[in-house]
Amino acid sequence: MKLINKKNFISIVCISFTLVVCGKLLLEKVIGFTDRHYTENIFTCLGFSIIITAVLALHFYLQRFPLIPVLIAQYAIVICTTVGFVKLADIIADTDTNAMWQMILSVTIPFIISAAVYYITFFRQIKKANDIIAEINHVSINQ
Amino acid sequence: MKLIKTKERGLTENYLELHYDEINDETKEVISRLDTTLSNVEGTYDEKHVSVPVTEVLYFDTVDRKTFAYTDKMCIEMRITLRNVLDNYSDAGLIRISKSAVVNVYKIDHLQGDINMRTTIFLKNGEKLVMNRGYKKEFMTELERIKERNRK
Repeated sequence: MKLINKKNFISIVCISFTLVVCGKLLLEKVIGFTDRHYTENIFTCLGFSIIITAVLALHFYLQRFPLIPVLIAQYAIVICTTVGFVKLADIIADTDTNAMWQMILSVTIPFIISAAVYYITFFRQIKKANDIIAEINHVSINQ
Repeated sequence: MKLIKTKERGLTENYLELHYDEINDETKEVISRLDTTLSNVEGTYDEKHVSVPVTEVLYFDTVDRKTFAYTDKMCIEMRITLRNVLDNYSDAGLIRISKSAVVNVYKIDHLQGDINMRTTIFLKNGEKLVMNRGYKKEFMTELERIKERNRK
């Protein structure tokens, strides 16, 4: 089943964008940080929400390929886009000296967390399925 | 509705007999389930027409637009599509595991996941099938449904 499709693409982007912006605002409030490039950063969040949702949507079409190469390819696409974006932003406006590193980290950390959650969920599902199969087999033997 | 099991030595084939005054909803449900479970898969094997109980089929798959049913002893070529197999034998415990394969859940021994998140299905006869990631959710939902049905 396709999880991200044409019908829900915009709504997924909107939800992701809202969550990211809420997280950003909460973090800024907690640490007392004032964002001098508020507008640019908000549009950056929107841009990345669209790109990452689009990359994740590719997952459906890549199901026949082994997952590790798929994850690596998806990560490579996101990192290349990030690097390209930071380079472009560097030409247009002033960016922090650590902007590249910060952006790479901002993409890598959620990516690793998501991959870990995905793996844990997968192996828990396998265990659950094996328990159900054992129960079904037990019932059919007893019947 | 009562279920009475009676052991009879020397029977050539097990049989079920239903005693009723009136067929109520519960009985109807049991009959409809039995109809599917006791139905046969028909096709050709070794250029001969064969008919095998669907419960004996390990899995179905499609190769070059031809559908095959695999049992312990034979591979039966069928004249229907995989979609028809699922529609015709919906209550026989069949679950789709890829675009071209359907497995009989009662013939599964266990599942095993690998690092690439592909699920290998080990059948009771030792054969292995690979489940596509895209069918995992459908597989789990169907497995839960079969579990609930068996509990009733």
